[in-house]
Amino acid sequence: MPVFEYNGIEIKVDDDGFMEEPEKWNEPVALALASVEGVSALTEKHWKVIKYLREYYLQFGMAPMIRRLCKETGFSLKEIYELFPSGPAKGACKVAGLTKPAGCV
Amino acid sequence: MTKDKMMDKEKIRVSDISGKNGQMVELDPSRFLPLLSPYDTLELEPRISPLTAEQKIKYECDLDGISAIMLPRPKTEREKRTLVDKFLSGLTKLFDKEDNWTFIQPLLLTMEYCAKCQTCSKACPIFTQSGGIEIYRPTYRSEILRKLYKKYIKPGGRAISRMTGEDIDVNWEMIARLAELSYRCTICRRCAQVCPMGVDNGLVTHELRKIFSQEMGINIRQLHELGSSQQLLKGSSTGMTPAAFKDNIEFMENEVKERTGLEFKWPIDKAGADILLYHNAGEFLAWPENPEAFAVILDAAGISYTLSSDLLGYDGVNYGVWYDDIQMARVALKHIEIAKKLGVKKIVIGECGHSHKALAVIADRILTGDFIIPRESSLTLLADIVRSGRLNLDKSRNEDIFVTLHDPCNMVRLMGIVEPQREILRAVAPGFREMTPHGVDNYCCGGGSGFAIIDNANFPDWRHAVAGRMKLRQILDVFRDVISPEHKKYVCAPCSNCKGQFREMFVAYGIFERCNILYGGLAELIVNAMPNLKKPFFDWEWR
Repeated sequence: MPVFEYNGIEIKVDDDGFMEEPEKWNEPVALALASVEGVSALTEKHWKVIKYLREYYLQFGMAPMIRRLCKETGFSLKEIYELFPSGPAKGACKVAGLTKPAGCV
Repeated sequence: MTKDKMMDKEKIRVSDISGKNGQMVELDPSRFLPLLSPYDTLELEPRISPLTAEQKIKYECDLDGISAIMLPRPKTEREKRTLVDKFLSGLTKLFDKEDNWTFIQPLLLTMEYCAKCQTCSKACPIFTQSGGIEIYRPTYRSEILRKLYKKYIKPGGRAISRMTGEDIDVNWEMIARLAELSYRCTICRRCAQVCPMGVDNGLVTHELRKIFSQEMGINIRQLHELGSSQQLLKGSSTGMTPAAFKDNIEFMENEVKERTGLEFKWPIDKAGADILLYHNAGEFLAWPENPEAFAVILDAAGISYTLSSDLLGYDGVNYGVWYDDIQMARVALKHIEIAKKLGVKKIVIGECGHSHKALAVIADRILTGDFIIPRESSLTLLADIVRSGRLNLDKSRNEDIFVTLHDPCNMVRLMGIVEPQREILRAVAPGFREMTPHGVDNYCCGGGSGFAIIDNANFPDWRHAVAGRMKLRQILDVFRDVISPEHKKYVCAPCSNCKGQFREMFVAYGIFERCNILYGGLAELIVNAMPNLKKPFFDWEWR
């Protein structure tokens, strides 16, 4: 599988750039993945979204409902797209080190 | 072969599927049938991205340069020979009464009785809208299987096929192309409906996929590993566990309370309820307003029902119905078991097309004796409720939206459920207008048979530009007089898969930004017309 390299960090990713080993995620990894998203710096707002996604993922093993992500972080879907241009599923979840969301989502 | 020869539809023969000259067809979007305003020039359409150099080396793509499966190219001749043997073994089983007891009869009829009249081809949205690309012709695919059947299954086949010039060369190149070709048809069965002989080309697609999956382990990750297998393991193809499901239910109960003031507890695991309701679990995650709407309607109508939090109990999907009888049977049996355990009188299937096909139609082949339990579509249940007047609907609340109806293939053409959804729309949406054609003559959204969730390589591009082309055309056509963005327009699609396809296709074309066309289910339109709401039930924003 492809290996993504950034600033000395090596991350195994799938064909879409999602982490294959989510347990290896940490903050430098998030920065590395964010660079692919076209996000050069992670602000407090970014981290709020990332933290929520990460916690939900660790508890439930999957990404949360988009509606929920918006409500519980206080950001509208539009704002989330502004923070993560590829959107909540393909952008934010990737940076937060989740595996790629599947199903009729 | 020169490029001209490749694109000339008269010159592509069935035997070319076994050719060793690389890619068979080079897609040329300028030959696709044109769309309508504001997409009447090719420049306004999204590109079909070519595969990367890496992908071309790694994956089989010698059919048309598109990879649905991401099928790895075998590395040695020996590997290829093993795969060829496996394919032939699978082919034999496909025509064995014991191994293929589910579909052998219609399959045999399809093999024996094609009159080559091409009535099916004229009916096929993929073939016609592609500009008539020969490999997408329904009979092209079926003829391959027919030749294989005549050569390898019928007695004396090898000799006869050589003598009659019906020979087919079985090599890995053919098999790899055929695997991809089996994912260029959405099994909408428009072809089967028009066939004067009763031949079913959609079935051919399904049966081919079975050889690949059941015998060769070749299938699509999102349908199998992350689909039916994940559902059997975790409880849902979305990966949602019972714990996550219950947590989401709580969240949605609060949502409903905020939007409608209605305080209610979603009935979960209520033994002895009249109805067990199966939603596509993707709805909870992507379109929660739909199951929320169901809850509001059923509560207001005083219907005795329950959801289930058992593994598979909260997810009505059955992806196996697209590619693998074994997975299909496993999931269907579980769905029935759960209903039996709860002691409900019947199962009601939410707004999910293939779930209807699996539970209401195909499952009949495995349900006998004790396993029989009545199954009903939510469309008829909702129509009964709307007709009863219990909801006190005020359709003027939807009057600022132009609404059209997309008829999901698996509910409408397959099961003949045509009127109920229309009765409902006439009662709740003054702006309702029909697409042409509609009802059982509808066109597929382009996302059928699992296409909507196949996210591999450049397949989604093909799905939007080719598979969904006719549908997009219909949508632009039905709204042509109100196409500008100041008019709100809604494509009512009572099927999760169809909604997934509309979501992706609309994003690819920028439909919401350019034309202000939204897609959504049926139940939420009903609730939007309920008089006791302070504000609209769903927001007019992209979802």
